[in-house]
Amino acid sequence: MKRLTSQLVAQPYFLALVLMIVGFAVIALFQPNFFQPRTFGNNLRSYLPLICLAVAQTIVVIGGGIDLSLGAMLTLSSVVMVRTFGPEFEVPPDRIAAGILLGLLVATLAGAVNGWIVAYLRLQPIIATFATSFVWGGLALWVLPQPGGNVPQGLQDLVRLNALLPFTLWVVLFFGLGWYFFLRTKGAKALFAVGGNPQAAYASGVNVDLTRLLSYAGGGFFTGVGALFLVGDVATGDPLIGAPLTLASVVTVVIGGTRLSGGAGGIYGSMMGAAVYYLLINVVALAVIRFGWSSQLQTLLTGIVIVLALAGPGLVYLTQQLRRRA
Amino acid sequence: MTRGKPSGLLSALLTPPVIALALALLLLLLGELYRPGFASLEQIANILRIAAFLGIVAIGQTLVILAGGEGIDLSVGAVVTLGAIIIYRFTGGSDALLLPALLLSLGVGFAIGLINGVGVAWIRIPPLVMTLGMTAVVKGLILVYTGGRPQGATPPSMKAIISDPWVLGIPGDVFIWVILGLGVTFLLQRTAYGKALYAIGSNRTTARLSGIRVERMLILTYGLSGLFSALGGFVLLGYLQNVFINLGDQYTLPTIAAVVVGGTALAGGIGGYAGTMSGALLLTLIASLLFTLGLPEFGRQIVYGLILLVLLAVYGRGRRLRG
Amino acid sequence: MDLLLQAHNLTKRYGATVALSEADFELRAGEVHALLGSNGSGKSTLSKIVTGLVAPDAGELRVGGQPRRFASPAQARARGIAAVYQELSLVPDMSVQDNLWLGHEIGGLLGINARETARKTDELLALFRPVAGPRFRAQTPVAELAPDERQLVEILKAVGNRPRILILDEATASLGARQVDRLFELVSGWKAEGLGIVIVTHRMEEIFRIADRATVLRNGRVVGSVEMKDTTRAALVGLISGEAKRALQVEAKAPAGRSLPALELSLRAAERLEALELQVYPGEVLGLGGLQGQGQRELLLALFGALTMVGELKVGGRPHRFAHPAEAMRQGLAYVPGDRNREGLLATRSIFENFMLPAWDGYKTGTVLQVERAQKAVIETGERLKLKYGGLELPITSLSGGNAQKVVLGKWLLRHPKVLLLDDPTKGIDVGAKAEFYHLLNDLRAEGMAVIFNSSDEDELLSLCDRVLVMLEGCIVAELSGAALNRAALVEASLGLKGEEGAKTIGGGEASRP
Repeated sequence: MKRLTSQLVAQPYFLALVLMIVGFAVIALFQPNFFQPRTFGNNLRSYLPLICLAVAQTIVVIGGGIDLSLGAMLTLSSVVMVRTFGPEFEVPPDRIAAGILLGLLVATLAGAVNGWIVAYLRLQPIIATFATSFVWGGLALWVLPQPGGNVPQGLQDLVRLNALLPFTLWVVLFFGLGWYFFLRTKGAKALFAVGGNPQAAYASGVNVDLTRLLSYAGGGFFTGVGALFLVGDVATGDPLIGAPLTLASVVTVVIGGTRLSGGAGGIYGSMMGAAVYYLLINVVALAVIRFGWSSQLQTLLTGIVIVLALAGPGLVYLTQQLRRRA
Repeated sequence: MTRGKPSGLLSALLTPPVIALALALLLLLLGELYRPGFASLEQIANILRIAAFLGIVAIGQTLVILAGGEGIDLSVGAVVTLGAIIIYRFTGGSDALLLPALLLSLGVGFAIGLINGVGVAWIRIPPLVMTLGMTAVVKGLILVYTGGRPQGATPPSMKAIISDPWVLGIPGDVFIWVILGLGVTFLLQRTAYGKALYAIGSNRTTARLSGIRVERMLILTYGLSGLFSALGGFVLLGYLQNVFINLGDQYTLPTIAAVVVGGTALAGGIGGYAGTMSGALLLTLIASLLFTLGLPEFGRQIVYGLILLVLLAVYGRGRRLRG
Repeated sequence: MDLLLQAHNLTKRYGATVALSEADFELRAGEVHALLGSNGSGKSTLSKIVTGLVAPDAGELRVGGQPRRFASPAQARARGIAAVYQELSLVPDMSVQDNLWLGHEIGGLLGINARETARKTDELLALFRPVAGPRFRAQTPVAELAPDERQLVEILKAVGNRPRILILDEATASLGARQVDRLFELVSGWKAEGLGIVIVTHRMEEIFRIADRATVLRNGRVVGSVEMKDTTRAALVGLISGEAKRALQVEAKAPAGRSLPALELSLRAAERLEALELQVYPGEVLGLGGLQGQGQRELLLALFGALTMVGELKVGGRPHRFAHPAEAMRQGLAYVPGDRNREGLLATRSIFENFMLPAWDGYKTGTVLQVERAQKAVIETGERLKLKYGGLELPITSLSGGNAQKVVLGKWLLRHPKVLLLDDPTKGIDVGAKAEFYHLLNDLRAEGMAVIFNSSDEDELLSLCDRVLVMLEGCIVAELSGAALNRAALVEASLGLKGEEGAKTIGGGEASRP
């Protein structure tokens, strides 16, 4: 038991785990109805797109990159799906399949384009993907200029599924299991090596450029999955919906203990980070209601809390440096 | 005349700022051909004035990008808004309070920038993430300060300073822009700060080993970016005479594009404010032309993204792994 | 005789520097072949070409009789060539096991064969288990291992793939005596199995223990290939050092005034440095010798306030602590880096700005710079340095390597420093520029400047320095001056051999380290 605890503390996602438990505990105290099966499922459902984006960003970051176009990519993929489903209320099955496949394909391709730009054109990932985010955003506006469109009932029912557990938890379990097996493949070893020490990876015979490209493409794919759940949840298309989620995905990665410099970390922490992100917002909202603060203060507090969360790992580093100097 | 000379002269002239300016003139000509009246004096004054807002806000962006290390400031738009709102609210339309309000606004902008700088230089948060996070905080600040609905008024003297024509029908803000342009160029070329800024943007190790305190320079530079953004808010308020909650948002991304189009490398250490000025002019003309052509929002976004990518591919390539 | 590897006429240039020139090399099955040479002789470049890490500009490589060109290390490894690199090629965050198999994991598309991997990992680790610590296990992250254990992992990683050719590039540099013994036992075994083994090392004693043949390089050229049983230590040292003529004979070395040291250091510890002491006097050139990477660079950086150190530092007799180079500069120190592109130049800026970077302090009123006065000063300094340039405002990249290096040094002259720290400043510059630099150094010495001069070029140490401190693994192992300052003493002290001919060793206990 003692060994288990010390192992847990050593995990990079320990901070996220603690924050998540504290967050759920605070909410259980002050907002008990949060956990009623129906509301719980509904609440968790809104986490889904960010969970997928957190996974996507984690893969890219572990490989030594970052993708600031994920939000726009999510939007693009979702509007492609909605456009392909068509305007009719009853969507024929072949168009459902076509919409989903096309949406996933577009997101994966967009990721691959980012990866190609970063790995083969060797542009700085931060600014290059920032630039492509305009391209994806512009394309999304072109595909669907106004919010609207239909989403098949089956897809809406899927994300509202509550068999034993809410659908979101099934997705998390599935992702977690997938990650567990992925870690035991050559691809995972290459990914971590490329992010951790590209020279060493190259000297060991790893195809560094291809691994980078594939990490971005993988990020694109999970962004597409996020788009699928998003349209199932909101049941419509919106050409501006994804943008705020980009920063959120970076925040989840940082809170989850994945180093932004690459080569370490994992999706368990990031998925917890996604929960922590929403819980922080939720807790701030509760506090605002409880103490009768203005709703304007809520925006400010949320912003500050998120900046503090971003600064967390850096502050730890800084205090270590200072202590060493003393 | 020797054969070497014309090419030397040509290459001296073919600097990014000159190219951007030449392109701007070309676009003006094309616009005039497409729709006569596009290049009328009145229209040109109008384009200059819009470019002036963009150009003033882009001063800080220029400094931060010159400082290198993936430097970028995404909080400029939010600080523009906050800067304008502080003056609007603090003066309540009183000319007497204008100067203290301006100083307060600049001070707040400077302080926000300093926090960005501390996050980047000491806590080592990537600049893009830090300043994006700061945007959310500043927006929260604006909401708290205004309660969501800004109350106040614009002092009448601001209209005289900024909006009314000084000479030849050219409004005050254009003159302010030119004066600031000269000042910033002087700052970059003729002060120790400017030389140190180029040095840390070019090579931080060399700069440190030559005695430059890199972290202090970074913090100061982000501070200046906040200050110039607040100043942009002042000018914008003088023109619009009114404020709203997301007044400055539309300027954030074009400032980056203006800096890059003007030949300042995103990797840092090369470029200058003259380039940003012609970049701001060129972008304003492009937007105006796209508008005249009836190009919709999505087209403008894609064009912006592609312009950034192409310029990045020209300036900011990384190194190969293999020797 | 079964030839595993033949290299013919291999040439590699880096800019103006020729790292390897028309080198020939061959490796037989079942032999241990040593590559020898002093700093920058091209032995690392040669081994990197063989392993596909560096692409040659010219020449031919035959593996098992077939001509090959390797586009990457992966291709070289597919032909049975594995290498242990001097700079570690491990990923610190990954476990020992993951590092061992990185790039050639055991298993198919579906996943890694965990049981087989674990079994083979244990087999490999068992080879060094008796000479490694308790953390030397499959699942330990490499970052948590000691440096010698990391080196062992590196060796096992190369061996794990069952190569036919194994290259050990300074593989023993960080190993202890028992670990080296064990490694040599294993090497003998592999040799008997028919492997060809190339060993690059500076430890002369090891070469005589393990190698069958030796190929010696000097200045990028192969100068000899000998059977170990037909040679002696003295003969090899002679082959390595050569009979190079002195580039410049110093007329008369002024005896350093033993008044007050310009700078005095009593160091207790710093990164890659052990306890050591040094003094340098006004008008003296103090050389730092030894193989490259023995702490010379770190010593200079620590003096300049760019690396944290523990110890006492006195400048002009007064104690100081420098937390930043700016503070060292204020006390009259100046640092000229060897890697000028990384540490000395602002590649995107003009010649003028590069010159003035550390010197603006003296050329401003308030915060406004006195550009015209500065330009005059730079032009004067340029004349003194015989700098060849098209114009002050041209980019620094328009200069040749030698002229760029003059700027890196010359920028400090504008500050009139008292102590000049030079980190291998003539590396990769042409002969003419070198000679000019030597004259300048003599002038500065005559003016009373104190100079600490790290050089990888023995000729420079012999002809320019009043005294030379030889460094090895973070310690000063010998102080040579007067008649004791000669080539043989320098080479032997660098290799950690016992001094002769009056080369006195200092530094107490550290000097006896291998």
